[in-house]
Amino acid sequence: MSEELMQQILSISFYGASLALILIGVYGVLTKKNLIKILLSLTIVDSGVNLLFVSLGYIMNGTAPIFSPAIMDGKIEVLKTAPMVDPVPQALVLTAIVIGLGVTAVGLALVIRLFRHHNTTNIDEIRNLKW
Amino acid sequence: MKKIIIILLLAVIGYFLADIFFEIPFGEDSMVVSKEYLDKSPNDLHVANTVTSIVVNFRGFDTLGEVTVLFLASTAIGSILFRRRKVHTKLNPQRNAPHASRIVQISAKILFPLIVLLGAYVFIHGHLTPGGGFQGGVIIATGYLLLLVTYRKFSVSHSSLTWIEAIAGVTFAGIGVLGLILGKDFLENFLPVGTINNLFSGGIIGIIYVAVGFKVASELTGILDTMLSIKVDSEENEQN
Amino acid sequence: MVVANPILYVALPLLVAFLLPLFGKIHKELIRVVPGLLFMFLIFNTVVLFSEVTSTGKPIITQIAGWAPPIGINLVFSAFSGFIAGIISIMGLLVWVYSYKFKKVEFDNSLKYFVLIMLVTAGSIGVVLTGDIFNLFVFLEIVALSSYPLVAFYRGRDGAEASFKYLIVGAFASIAILLGIVLIYSQLGTLNMAEISLRIGEMPEKIKITAFILLFLGFGIEAEMFPLNGWAPDAYSQAPGPVGAVFASMTAKAGIYTIIRLVFTLFDIDAGYQLLLGMGIITLVVSEGIALRQEKLKRMLAFSSLGQMGLLMIAFGINTKAAVVAGMFILFNHAVIKSLLFFSGSYLVYNSENKNIKDLFGFGKKLPLTAFLFGLGAFAIVGLPPLSGFWAKLSLLMASADSNLIALIALILIVSVVEIVYYFRVVNGLYFKKYTGEFEPHKPSWNASLVMLILAAVIVTVGLYPDLIYNYFVNAADALMDKANYIQNVLPSNFVGLN
Repeated sequence: MSEELMQQILSISFYGASLALILIGVYGVLTKKNLIKILLSLTIVDSGVNLLFVSLGYIMNGTAPIFSPAIMDGKIEVLKTAPMVDPVPQALVLTAIVIGLGVTAVGLALVIRLFRHHNTTNIDEIRNLKW
Repeated sequence: MKKIIIILLLAVIGYFLADIFFEIPFGEDSMVVSKEYLDKSPNDLHVANTVTSIVVNFRGFDTLGEVTVLFLASTAIGSILFRRRKVHTKLNPQRNAPHASRIVQISAKILFPLIVLLGAYVFIHGHLTPGGGFQGGVIIATGYLLLLVTYRKFSVSHSSLTWIEAIAGVTFAGIGVLGLILGKDFLENFLPVGTINNLFSGGIIGIIYVAVGFKVASELTGILDTMLSIKVDSEENEQN
Repeated sequence: MVVANPILYVALPLLVAFLLPLFGKIHKELIRVVPGLLFMFLIFNTVVLFSEVTSTGKPIITQIAGWAPPIGINLVFSAFSGFIAGIISIMGLLVWVYSYKFKKVEFDNSLKYFVLIMLVTAGSIGVVLTGDIFNLFVFLEIVALSSYPLVAFYRGRDGAEASFKYLIVGAFASIAILLGIVLIYSQLGTLNMAEISLRIGEMPEKIKITAFILLFLGFGIEAEMFPLNGWAPDAYSQAPGPVGAVFASMTAKAGIYTIIRLVFTLFDIDAGYQLLLGMGIITLVVSEGIALRQEKLKRMLAFSSLGQMGLLMIAFGINTKAAVVAGMFILFNHAVIKSLLFFSGSYLVYNSENKNIKDLFGFGKKLPLTAFLFGLGAFAIVGLPPLSGFWAKLSLLMASADSNLIALIALILIVSVVEIVYYFRVVNGLYFKKYTGEFEPHKPSWNASLVMLILAAVIVTVGLYPDLIYNYFVNAADALMDKANYIQNVLPSNFVGLN
């Protein structure tokens, strides 16, 4: 398979997948009535953005940005055989995932408290405040 | 009807976003600052894993914030689900459910130390291999999750978790402030960097990642335990 | 080692927050004393750094981890960002004094309360000082994650519902911001705000505008811009009393700061100013209109606060120097006056179940000091001379007159009349309606009275002698509007990546 075709297939699959995840998540947030499903949809949107970010850092035929040094003449040398993918998106996505996890955990705790108070997780039945 | 409107709206948003996404060429080298990282990580910091050196050193301030976010999440969950000691009477019914079968119990006992060992390996070697403090910490927390679901009455001592959390957090922030005291920048490396690919390399990076590992593990375990030990109680009212 | 350093604004609160549970094990009283010492140190830090900035006229750039920007993250303490950081740290101390006796009996609760207050302060200051856009995102999340539990702090109210609402909207904001950052990074390969600002022209127009809209949307939610502010009134009214002041003086300030930086520094889109102006006008009109119909005191205060945010956006959207100076004045006033209103208002409705305005009729005689201070705050925010609010509104009107925005002047005056109507309804009720006897007045504790008196003193002093502080606003406006200077200070040498 030619390089360019490969690139095209990869770009469509990665961008398409992240776009699909974002849209599915937004659809879920807007239509679902269950509090837990709303939170789940938010994490799906989050994964979509994270996937997009990681795939933007990819370089064709690149390897993971981890160096494997070799010993040459008794001295350790850093070998750079293949191009390395961009490490920054990976580091940032790590941060974004942790932040998303924190938000989801707090949201679930709130759901637990709302359930305890109203005995339901349906958003229509929890409307003491105006939405 | 509402759903159709939403789908139409999403189709429009999706079209615009797709238009933008496919504008960005895939798989092309467009690194600017990253080139510096790929150059400085092995040569200046002697850290083999560039992602780790970015997370802990170049953008270490982000990671301090990230650790704070986790700390906040566990504080927030504690505060949201907080119950007065004297009010709650019964344990969560979850806790009184029958134990898992004998096979599961014994396998959990065998697996738990191995999971903790794997987690520790992942965060100790964070600067050499893929992985690091967050990943290792999460692995250890899954070990505790296994125990929590297998032995319903198993609970983690919150007092010791508090100590581990505090000491690990102070190690991270304290190393940063120590840099300031020694006349360098906040979070700047002040230890010898060692030889690349050795366990003792990268100066403070390894130490910070171990602290992060402990902190993440204890916080996630605390969150899981808090969520599982919701107490049943009577209504209470508080006013300002 | 220098004693004062911008990094300490963030590093010390985090260190103390991690350590606070251990302090609590040593002595229970320490969990309430230590945060206060921390806030005092932060104010000392502000004074030292601010005098340095004023005397040298140059911002202080702090590198982190020993890497010069754009490789490492940096903090920028300029006359503009330092001024907002100073307001936030002073308000932090006042909130601490106000809530010192708060929840005295409950150890666990007050530990968490003070941890959250410290982290929301540190997060807001971090947002204001940081020079890196992803770092800004992280700090915004710290602010958000400490606000959610503060909204849901009380069990007896609908706090959890308000908090959940806030969380959903806040999560959307963070996703929009992250997507915007991703688009910027994919084109420029950098996250440093100065470098982005320098090279923003290299971005293709389409991607640039999309990134701008996403970031504007995300920051707009944090800055309580209409129509993205549905969460704010509930959050303000369900939270404990002092937390309303925290939102008005810290998180809203951090939010408006991000949107100002976005329009003024990061992007070079001229329509951004008009967008800010337009959104400001809509926010102002809608919020004040809704505030008029509110029956509950805290909701009314919350909508009035949203209106003030609209006024701020208008001031910065006009984008002349006089208007930006007026904007800084309004920003300062909003922090001080709104905090006074929330502090005194929460004592006025202390025992009332529904916190309705009619519940506080006749309290002027029952709680003379609190009612008087509330009235003072109400007069100040409406803009009656000789209080500080008058000068802020006057300078905004003058600035719009300079820019030939006659319709805007008329609009601001009409909205001021609306403000007068709904605030006077409360003040009238306080003094000229008969006490219903339904609710026992609750006397504020001495520390709360002290805080309210300090704020009132600031309002009167600034009202009588606006020149005392006016120069700081001018310096801040200069620092904000000089984009080239900002870039040059952060990136002094010609970094390789710039070519």
